[in-house]
Amino acid sequence: MIRPGGQVSSQAESVRSRRRQHRATVAKVSRWSIEQVEALVPRAASISAAQPLATPTRWAGLGANDQAAWGACAGSGAEPYQVVVDHVTVSWRCSCPSRQRPCKHVLALLLLWVRDQIPAGVATGAVKAWIVNRSVESASSSERADPEPQPERGLGSAIPTGLDTDPAPESEPPSDDERAQTRDERVERMYAGLVELDRWLDDRIRTGLADPSVARFGTWDDLAARLVDAQAGSLANRIRRLAGLVGANPDWHDDVLAELGILHLLSQAGRRLGSLPEPLADAVATSVGWQVRKADVLGGVPDTDVWVVCGRSDTREHRIEVRRYWLRGVRSGSWALLLSFAAYQQSLDTSLRVGTSIRADLYRYPGPALRALIGDRHTEPIAAVPPTQSVAEACGEIGRMIAVEPWIERVPSTVRARLTRQGSQWLLADDTGSLPILVPDQRNGSDDALAMLLASSAGGLVDLTVEWTPHGVTPLAIHVGGRTLDVGPQANQSFVASA
Amino acid sequence: MNTLDQPESPVGKTPSVDQHWRELVTVALLGTDRRDPPAPIPVLADVVHDTARSAPSERLLAHVAACTTVRRAGVLPGPRLDPLASPVDDERPPCVPTAIDRWHHLTTSWPVLEDEWMIALLRNGWRLAPELVPAALGRHRRDLIRHSRVRAAAGPLADWLIGHLSDLAANKPNAVVDPEAIVELPELPIPPDLAALLAASGAEVGEVVSAGLELGDFGQSHRGVLVNLIARMQPSGLADAASVLDAVDPRSSGAGLASVLGDLATVRHRMLGELAVN
Repeated sequence: MIRPGGQVSSQAESVRSRRRQHRATVAKVSRWSIEQVEALVPRAASISAAQPLATPTRWAGLGANDQAAWGACAGSGAEPYQVVVDHVTVSWRCSCPSRQRPCKHVLALLLLWVRDQIPAGVATGAVKAWIVNRSVESASSSERADPEPQPERGLGSAIPTGLDTDPAPESEPPSDDERAQTRDERVERMYAGLVELDRWLDDRIRTGLADPSVARFGTWDDLAARLVDAQAGSLANRIRRLAGLVGANPDWHDDVLAELGILHLLSQAGRRLGSLPEPLADAVATSVGWQVRKADVLGGVPDTDVWVVCGRSDTREHRIEVRRYWLRGVRSGSWALLLSFAAYQQSLDTSLRVGTSIRADLYRYPGPALRALIGDRHTEPIAAVPPTQSVAEACGEIGRMIAVEPWIERVPSTVRARLTRQGSQWLLADDTGSLPILVPDQRNGSDDALAMLLASSAGGLVDLTVEWTPHGVTPLAIHVGGRTLDVGPQANQSFVASA
Repeated sequence: MNTLDQPESPVGKTPSVDQHWRELVTVALLGTDRRDPPAPIPVLADVVHDTARSAPSERLLAHVAACTTVRRAGVLPGPRLDPLASPVDDERPPCVPTAIDRWHHLTTSWPVLEDEWMIALLRNGWRLAPELVPAALGRHRRDLIRHSRVRAAAGPLADWLIGHLSDLAANKPNAVVDPEAIVELPELPIPPDLAALLAASGAEVGEVVSAGLELGDFGQSHRGVLVNLIARMQPSGLADAASVLDAVDPRSSGAGLASVLGDLATVRHRMLGELAVN
């Protein structure tokens, strides 16, 4: 034991003093400061992402010398990522798939090195070979008279080391690197969220839907919160809607189980995006919660047509009111969905009127999804009604759309049918069959829609636009006598502000 | 919702998609810790074969996902059903779309005119447009006379609708209503000095009211009785009254109220025009 004032402690103090001097000298000569590492990246958040990896226990084969530092970092892949940093010429290499330059593994290795947590070692053959190759490339670059040979950090970013140049000013728009970095971070979070979701689904299925935990709202809400953290907002909303199905009717087990299956499907597909065909991958990513920038959508090729505004429905999702406008192209016959959102006292889109048509450019989101943005409007709206079909044909149309995206929760269709009832269940029926109408929702006034439909049809055939859900169809608009009655669920007027 | 299904299978043969689904629900209720999932049916076997060696919970989830997709994408129409018996035909033509829009406007902005709108519709041989019937019935459930007036205006459709949706019936359906009351305009409170104007010409009504507003004899406290006066004055004078009221000096303190009363006169004039004898 070292006692203050003793001989041993005196020696120890001397050793510590000499070590401090040595470290200071080394640092002065070759070791970077934390600030220099931070200068490699445009945002402090990148360092935050690297911090959890900057512990020696996450690494194997760590080593450093006066030229480089290297190691293997355990990541989400099966194999650890091989990382090497040349801290003299400021270049690096990492076997991870991230497009971020430098990736968080490189930053973590540098942080370890700066903190003197990497033991001195002899470079492995691979590290030596890489350094030699780097030197050759650098020399040949010089021979080609490049004014400023760039270290290997990809995509032509400015040198952000802080060693020999100033970092880029903060006011500049994000570079491709930064965007790629943000995206990669998000992908990782989302992937982790999907893993978490599947683990949770597994627990529910193992213990059974009769387990009391299923009836507790916290069971669902906690997962939804974690999915929000993982930036899988669409899945979080889906979980919250699913929580509302528990105990909602005598067959709620059926409804909940079906949704759990769809969540499993999305979770599995979301973790295999790279191996899915591109349109399908886009659709899955969007359904999981991947947000596509409006500017990117509006940068696509427009789908110009005369669009009939067939129906509208408002629904409350958590604390947001969502308005859906269902449009159908006169020429193409294809459906499109325009969404608008309003938090408390915000306005929903009121620029379209159900039962009118307008020639306009629609920009579709990636994949086969129906969602689109409206661009230029070339004409003023005029009264119009969509073509209709039989119940059987409507079922076929709905089925085809679900087959493309099995996880979609709402599908539009137009149908010519009469209202009828079987016991307490109201249905749309014709000579080809029947479709159940969704149980009225008092909040949204769907019972008014039923009364309006009954009055307008008087038991006869009537044209209408409906929205299919797994639990039945909701009437959105009645097309009668050249007029269209908008009977879709309405947002609570005390919640949203008038436009 | 009706879903794709195979024909009913005999006992011992391959279960149908719906039968398989019932088995999946049963296992899910109990939990895979207590019961193993059933073997996949042939139609789903290819889809879930990669989970054959997975944990029971994962296998069940894969089966559920596949089965749900097949059931939803295979949505089929339900059975054909008998149509509802239609209401007896009503020979009267339904009121025109502008009258429909007017009714919506009245019920939100000028409810004082609603009785006259409905009575004019009845007297002039129109029928209440079907799209207005549920809202009109629901609006007057507690007022037997007005509810009866709506039923008379809507014809057989109203009773047919009430038969299907009992929420639209009056609160006291068995109470007797005097048929005369249905077509009689309810009286509105109008003070004697203004009541004399009820038979006057439109220009005269407009002059008296405008002068009172400009001179400060009438203020916001008189709004109610002035509205009643315009709502019950001679219909033939509405246009004249409106033009006089609209000409009130905008700098006077009564200009705002004059504008409101002018709007009421205009709305009533147009309303009666839309419901003129067809």
